[in-house]
Amino acid sequence: MEELVPSSSEPLSPQTLASFRSLIINPSTPQSKISSIFETLTRSLQLTPDSLVLNLLSELASRHSNLSHLVFDSVRSHSLLSSESTRLAAESLDALASISNTEPTLSSAIDELDDRLFVSLCFGPSVSVRSWLLRNAERFRISPYVLLTLFLGFTKDPYPYVRKIALDGLVGVSKSGMIEDHSMINGCYCRAIELLGDMEDQVRSAAIRAVSAWGLILVASNPETKLYWSDDLFVKLCSMGRDMSMEVRVEAFDALGKINVVSEDILLQTLSKRVLAITKEKRSLGQCPAEQFEILASNVAGVLVHGLEDEFYEVRKSACHSLRTLTIISAEFAGEALNLLMDVLNDDSMFVRLEALETMLHMATYGHLKVQGTHMHMFLGTLLDSNTLIRSATRRILKLVKLPNIELFRLSFDSLIENLEKHPQDEADIFSVLFHTGCNHGKFVVSAINEASEEIDQASEGKLGFDSARVAALLVLAISAPLSHGEHFCSIPPRIFSYAVTLLGRISRALTDIMDQNALLAYLSQCSISTTFSATELNIRRGEPCLPVANIEIPNDSSNEINGSTRTSLHQEKDGASELQSWTMREPLELAAPLGGFQVEVHDEVMKPINLILAKVKDIWSSIHSGFTNEVLRTLRNFKEELATFTSDSVGTIDAVAFTLQYLQVIKQLAKELQILELVLLTCTLRLCKVEICCHFATLKKLSTTVSRVESILKSATIEPTIFISEFVLCGRLDQIKAELTIPDNDSENPLPFVSRLPVGIPCDITLHNTSNENKLWLKMSMDDESTQFVFLDLNLYGSSDKVWNACLRMFCLSKNMGVQNVS
Amino acid sequence: MAIDSLVLGAGQQVGKSCVVVSMNGKRIMFDCGMDMAYHDHRRYPDFSRISNSGDFDSALTCIVVTHFHLDHIGALPYFTEVCGYSGPIYMTYPTKALAPLMLEDYRKVMVERRGEEEQFTSEHIVECMKKVIAVDLKQTVHVDKDLQIRAYYAGHVLGAAMFYAKVGDTAMVYTGDYNMTPDRHLGAAQIDRLQLDLLISESTYATTIRDSKYGREREFLKAVHKCVAGGGKVLIPTFALGRAQELCILLEDYWERMNLKIPIYFSSGLTMQANMYYKMLISWTSQKVKETYSTHNAFDFKHVLNFDRSMIAAPGPCVLFATPGWLSGGFSLEVFKQWAPSEMNLVTLPGYCAAGTIGHKLMSGKPTKIDLDKNTQLDVRCQIHQLSFSPHTDAKGIMDLVKFLSPKHVILVHGEKPKMATLKGRIHSELGIPCDDPANNETVSISSAHYVKARASDTFIHSSLNPNFKFSKSISEDESGSCLTNRRFMPQLQVTDERTAEGILIEEKNKKAKILHQDELLLMLGEKKHEVGFAYCCPINVSSLEETKSTSDNVLCTSESSDRCSWLQLLNNKLSGQISGGNIQDFGEHLQVESFDISVCLNDRCPYRIIDSQNKSEAVFFCCTWSVSDEKLAWKIISIMENFDCESH
Repeated sequence: MEELVPSSSEPLSPQTLASFRSLIINPSTPQSKISSIFETLTRSLQLTPDSLVLNLLSELASRHSNLSHLVFDSVRSHSLLSSESTRLAAESLDALASISNTEPTLSSAIDELDDRLFVSLCFGPSVSVRSWLLRNAERFRISPYVLLTLFLGFTKDPYPYVRKIALDGLVGVSKSGMIEDHSMINGCYCRAIELLGDMEDQVRSAAIRAVSAWGLILVASNPETKLYWSDDLFVKLCSMGRDMSMEVRVEAFDALGKINVVSEDILLQTLSKRVLAITKEKRSLGQCPAEQFEILASNVAGVLVHGLEDEFYEVRKSACHSLRTLTIISAEFAGEALNLLMDVLNDDSMFVRLEALETMLHMATYGHLKVQGTHMHMFLGTLLDSNTLIRSATRRILKLVKLPNIELFRLSFDSLIENLEKHPQDEADIFSVLFHTGCNHGKFVVSAINEASEEIDQASEGKLGFDSARVAALLVLAISAPLSHGEHFCSIPPRIFSYAVTLLGRISRALTDIMDQNALLAYLSQCSISTTFSATELNIRRGEPCLPVANIEIPNDSSNEINGSTRTSLHQEKDGASELQSWTMREPLELAAPLGGFQVEVHDEVMKPINLILAKVKDIWSSIHSGFTNEVLRTLRNFKEELATFTSDSVGTIDAVAFTLQYLQVIKQLAKELQILELVLLTCTLRLCKVEICCHFATLKKLSTTVSRVESILKSATIEPTIFISEFVLCGRLDQIKAELTIPDNDSENPLPFVSRLPVGIPCDITLHNTSNENKLWLKMSMDDESTQFVFLDLNLYGSSDKVWNACLRMFCLSKNMGVQNVS
Repeated sequence: MAIDSLVLGAGQQVGKSCVVVSMNGKRIMFDCGMDMAYHDHRRYPDFSRISNSGDFDSALTCIVVTHFHLDHIGALPYFTEVCGYSGPIYMTYPTKALAPLMLEDYRKVMVERRGEEEQFTSEHIVECMKKVIAVDLKQTVHVDKDLQIRAYYAGHVLGAAMFYAKVGDTAMVYTGDYNMTPDRHLGAAQIDRLQLDLLISESTYATTIRDSKYGREREFLKAVHKCVAGGGKVLIPTFALGRAQELCILLEDYWERMNLKIPIYFSSGLTMQANMYYKMLISWTSQKVKETYSTHNAFDFKHVLNFDRSMIAAPGPCVLFATPGWLSGGFSLEVFKQWAPSEMNLVTLPGYCAAGTIGHKLMSGKPTKIDLDKNTQLDVRCQIHQLSFSPHTDAKGIMDLVKFLSPKHVILVHGEKPKMATLKGRIHSELGIPCDDPANNETVSISSAHYVKARASDTFIHSSLNPNFKFSKSISEDESGSCLTNRRFMPQLQVTDERTAEGILIEEKNKKAKILHQDELLLMLGEKKHEVGFAYCCPINVSSLEETKSTSDNVLCTSESSDRCSWLQLLNNKLSGQISGGNIQDFGEHLQVESFDISVCLNDRCPYRIIDSQNKSEAVFFCCTWSVSDEKLAWKIISIMENFDCESH
């Protein structure tokens, strides 16, 4: 040690510092040596403040938490406050902030650091220090108003990247939600608007982000002025749609897609490069001031057209995406935009085509997709696209589309067949589309099937294989008819249903989202016996008292409450119909669900639907009890999908969502057990009534045992789960604590080497989410023979980032007893 | 300082683009084109206006050519080889490569077909091209120590560029022809936001606003597909470079997607040769072509075959690209004669055809018979589809560019006079930028900023390094038309950072200008700071004050000095009741409000007295002093004080 520490007051040599570093990072260095290194470093910092020494000290503090208080104090007094150089002061600030990060007890100490110090450092002449400080301002817990003032001021900096950082900082402050003063919000918005005209691309991009962030706050601040500010923001952003920089344009269209209220005339003007006659006549645009009419109109004119035909696919994609929110605002706009979108399907970039289709799907879910004959050629053309994603996206839209006439219905059917012939791998999905389309267009199906019945008969008489994809598709279409709205099922010849039974496997694979194979078989056999029979049968089922109609309403309600204005075109047709009808009606809603989380940002808005779901789950129990397992499972799946949409970045929600998912999983397990038994019952019954009369007795016996088992489950279930299910409302915050344990380098091909009766070392990576180092954590290890050991995990020893801890342990297992040593 | 722009061509017309710009002692010729409509001296710009003596080398600093179209480069060999200009010529690499082809092609047509007198020879073209210096996009070229030029992508045709030129602090952009929307093979124009004194822009479509290209492409493909599906032949007359490639990419793409097997033919060797140039100059094409060329070069046309004359009469559907574009003769006309009589066939025409050509006749209405010459008449039964594709920007594009660049002045060239006037009006009224549309041989002079190079003092530099921003709120007036009245008074936050504005420019004779920090000024001048102050000795009638004196109980002053202070006290009491917001500070001997100072004046000959003291023995005089900044406040207080008199009487 002695030779390491120079006796004189000269600065420490790089060699000395290097050796210090290795001593610090070596965990086996004795504590006394660490202490003396600390003293040497502190002395050196006192005499000649130096960034290398500073680095070492902060390294030391992070590895030896017992010294972090001392290091903190010494850095603060010797380096931060006494330093002449702003660069060193900034580095000290950095060191202090990172020390206080690892040592929570110091977090109050960093708060005590004066805002004034930070501000004065910002005002120093060094540009790089200034930009570093502004970029990292959030780490130093500066009061938001001071930050805002700083950022606003530095938007005037002559250095473009300082201006950019200042603007990004403003966006950060806007997210904190701390600024409520209206004139302040307005000030930030106006300042950002001024910078839309900056000379530098980077600054303009950042300015768009800032304009969007503050503009949206302004829009939300007062319901009375909402439309005014929204129009203002929209027009301002439109003016950037023709910027020469690709990045700026992308930013502009991204920002446009975040606006959800705009005057309709402005929207319509974005689709025409010429100033519309009606706009010219009015000489005003939305709520915008009339005196600037000409320049505003030319800013807005055709912006989206330009965006959709931009040279760069990034811009086109972004413009397509922005249409998602905008088409919800106005149906007329949606119609016009669709004409353009159909042309985008001709785009040479796959990403853009896909984005256009996704946007159409979005429009369809919101009931704003009005397909016309002129569109169909282009639209159905994408079914032949060489890209799988494109084809499947088109089909998803087709499931939802309401076709106005039989010609378009036939055209769609033919295109699907062409798709099937060219890409047989799509079969399951195509059948599913056919089934859904059939359900939605019963009348068209009936006439199409009647025309083709001869063809089907021939195919079935010739060879029962139904090799022809076309015939198989026709069969799928035919069997969907009884489920459609209205009484069309009578017109489908019953023999068609028995033909379909021969394709049971293929069809049921396609319809897994609607019914399983057994249900399908039951359904087909019902329909195939005779028309009259199937009708009465269906009527009988319809007459049953506890139909799952009530359950089916659940997803409707919840998704409506989440989406606000969500309405599917199909949904509207619903009237007091049979359960089979509503059964299929639910599909669009399932599709709607992934989009359900649309613009849910605030924590509360997520918690509300979650609580709603929890409440609905309670209602479901009665259905489980009544045995409508399929419906229940589907409802649960709906809920899950809905929940999946909430996995936004907001902190509190993830935990709540995770919890609810777990909860739903449990309910599902409970429901499933019943389902399996139900299936057994069904097969037994089928056997009884149809084929295996010889084993009549055995089957009957099995039937009775299963029935009794079901009864016992239902009985017990009514008692227990009701407690479990009872009133369940989430309030406050949930924290999800999650641990993932993986054994690296261990797979079936390269297993860990292991010799029996010799100790084995198993390295394992443990990732802990949402765990603070105040939590006491034990690792429990159990062996087959139930010997259990606990290992304490000291979280302070391992690195962390944002509540995610990573630990690497190496365990040595002796054949039965385990010893644990951590090596980190 | 001024920028003089002498328009030698394309002033209120399309053709022979040529603008000579003089700025800060440099003289640049932008483009050197010819007018194809004339066959006499009018086909060239009037070069004599540049220099009467014919010494063009000393009259011009350099020539900049934007692209290879003849109306932008056609006069170049004539000017260099015949008129004798031998200075530097700048153009982009593709322009340098393609220009000789275009010039040679034109020369051949002139001399060999029309039998005209040769204006320049093949050797002239070769010699001329030797003087050309090729530049790359965004490459700053120092023509000499003062003049810099830089090329920006312009779209339009392969290698087309806008040119930025800067001499000292004066900067301008000459656009040449450009396109603000991308097409299938070329990108949109792209330029940085520059600080410009002048923008010279083309204005071919000064009033047209074009719809989405998607719709136009769809129409074209639909027409072609319908025709070939019905077994017809499609004739697409084009020029070798540009449109042919764009349409071909479009068709190739469609053929690929629709899996069509119908042959596409190119008629001439030149088109095939042009395709080769496109393949080599891939970095000048559109983003999409650039992105994909490593896997598939968009100009490697899979479905394209060479056409043979014998195939004109062959049966079966096909698509044929044939030159020239306007059906003005040559091979395209030959094919047209054969195919026009059949209803199954289709002819697509470009958006513009020169008057007098067959193409022009077809465009104007749908004639059923066309007179080829005096003796022959042609039955036209085929379908005609007009393409509205253009490589020129539309009016909206021009406005977008002008708005983006926001130059101090705009000059429009290369357009039709009435339309240019409309656009000129819009630029002026909507964007507030002065705009001109000079005719040929007119000169437009505009002033540019006068910049002085100055040294800066250390204190000034130091002061400008540290941020120094201020916030102020101003009531915005431009929102007065808003629908909500309360918003009219909404304060607008103003942010200023005046660190560079705080300097003082010193220009001394025979010395270089210098910028000082304001604190340094006095030191440099060796002067003391002077401040302008005001003073007024204000009489107040005693009685008016006495009233208050008698009523106030707590004032107990007997001696003269305390008497003085009591007068002040009284005044203070009276004033504080009437001055709202002003903070009166009492210093015993005098009162102070901001810089306004009041004390009792005992000097009968006080120079600040206006009224003679003798006549007003009843009055107490208060001497008031204040500085300029508080003038308003001062007069307010004085008027209050003088009002005491009036009240008492």
